[in-house]
Amino acid sequence: MTFARRPLAEKIGIYVLLMIFAVVFVVPLWWAIISSLRPNEAIFRDMYPFSLRAFLPEPFSVQAYVNIVEKGFGTIIWNTLLVAGLTMAFGLVVNGLAGFAFAIFDFPHKNKILSIVVVSFMLPFEAIAMPLYAVVQQLGWIDTVAALVVPSIANGLAVFLFYQFFRQVPKDYYEAARLEGASPLRILWSIYVPLSMPTCISAGLMLFIFQWEAFLWPLLAMPAQQFKVIQVGMATFQDQYTTAWNELFGVAVVSAFIPILLLLPLQRYYIQGLAGSGIKG
Amino acid sequence: MRRQSAILVGIALIPALLGLAVFRVYPIALAVFESFFTTLRGKRLFVSLENYWFLVTDSGFWDSLWITLWFNLIINPLQVALALLLAIMFLQKVPFIGIFRFLFLIPIGVSLPVAVIIWRIVLLPEGLINGLLGTVGIEPLRFLTSADFALYSIIAIATWKGISYWMIFIIAGIQNIAPEIHEAARLEGASAWQRLCLITIPLLKPTLLFVLIADVTINFLLFAPIFMLTNGGPRGSTNVLMYEAYKSGFVFGDMGRAMAIIVILVLILLVVVALQFRLLSDSRPGLAKT
Repeated sequence: MTFARRPLAEKIGIYVLLMIFAVVFVVPLWWAIISSLRPNEAIFRDMYPFSLRAFLPEPFSVQAYVNIVEKGFGTIIWNTLLVAGLTMAFGLVVNGLAGFAFAIFDFPHKNKILSIVVVSFMLPFEAIAMPLYAVVQQLGWIDTVAALVVPSIANGLAVFLFYQFFRQVPKDYYEAARLEGASPLRILWSIYVPLSMPTCISAGLMLFIFQWEAFLWPLLAMPAQQFKVIQVGMATFQDQYTTAWNELFGVAVVSAFIPILLLLPLQRYYIQGLAGSGIKG
Repeated sequence: MRRQSAILVGIALIPALLGLAVFRVYPIALAVFESFFTTLRGKRLFVSLENYWFLVTDSGFWDSLWITLWFNLIINPLQVALALLLAIMFLQKVPFIGIFRFLFLIPIGVSLPVAVIIWRIVLLPEGLINGLLGTVGIEPLRFLTSADFALYSIIAIATWKGISYWMIFIIAGIQNIAPEIHEAARLEGASAWQRLCLITIPLLKPTLLFVLIADVTINFLLFAPIFMLTNGGPRGSTNVLMYEAYKSGFVFGDMGRAMAIIVILVLILLVVVALQFRLLSDSRPGLAKT
């Protein structure tokens, strides 16, 4: 049934529901973005009595953004990009190789090992963050970048995504190339990797966003707070500058903006990766 | 040739498996081990089950467990139901749906701490929500600083941030249902509501279960909003077990107690994950499109 032939009440109902969700999602964000572009004292001025001017950047000011850069937020963003970038680069190689091995080769206990890998990503990182602190302490990595990057490289979900993809590639490709004398690593690099670009993007995005959003682990692993990543930086910022509302909003806007910038062009891959893990997992 | 590929499998697998073993599996074993110890004046002492005994005889632990269970009993069904509704709305074929779809995906890019910072200011006594409530004459409410509201405010914030993410799984599940089934039901005269209750939801059961249980594992361990907003207060009303464990270990330096709480949390989670595997493998839909 096309939309035009539906009863009027149904049409109205659909749009009312769509609008409710849209308003609830967008209004707080809109208010945050606008308020970050106003002077601090203007933010609550239009609340009592409420006026729609609260949703307009007026008077306009970018002072909040100047202030947060002066307070060192540029470094924090750079730190986070470094941690997320390193995790993504190492993670793609390590998990891609493992996925390849699971998909191509037969070895003893393969299914058992694979199911342990799958179960490992069902348990969220938060569950092991505190005991992980003890492990990383034994390694002497507390307050180093290694503490943030190394434990996050091996990722069961990423292994599983690569495994799932490589398994679908016809085995004939592999065997034909083997007969031609190509080594397995060469086959991986020149046949499998180019084919698996969408999987690389899904897995890479997932590793990147995982690090970008990490909160509890960086909080525990970096007690000296010399090297801060964004989510923890934001929480300390909130504690230090409790009433600099426009700057708090500025910090929130910046830290939401970067992953959204990545997700917008690549959302298809991200969604495919997520959805694939849910349906077949 | 054989040996060569055995070595290759080893090289390809070892980095990932070693990483998972050291940073995922070993910490769990270590938590169990450490939960049998306590630290007294810098010395580690083996105390066997004493940490657990202190927990079960501590009313604070039971309060915290109760808050954790109550929190999860509300937030998880709420999130799954709203995510299902959102997914159904996302798939409506109506004019301008593209704009709505774009807006529905936005919270995925917003991290939980970002959502917390924004909502903290939105929920202030002089903030946006109270400003809007003021237009209909409601006095300002203390959403985050009163023991009656704080837990529900955290539920609202986490739900706002979470449902778009779960929506994606449900959309994938709905799209896996063969359209012929809906077509046939429509020709038989089934209304949209009947088709939702009698076709979509039953065929979506595996997806909904997956989402429900994945959601439970996240919400059982929810930490950032409590740390950033309430520190477990006011009057302990948001003191979930995850925060209680953090406080024990990293504020009061009692790692044994922290580990014992984590072990109990992980045990509950393992039961949940096991349940997921049971239920999911029992209810594979026969009608799903391949």
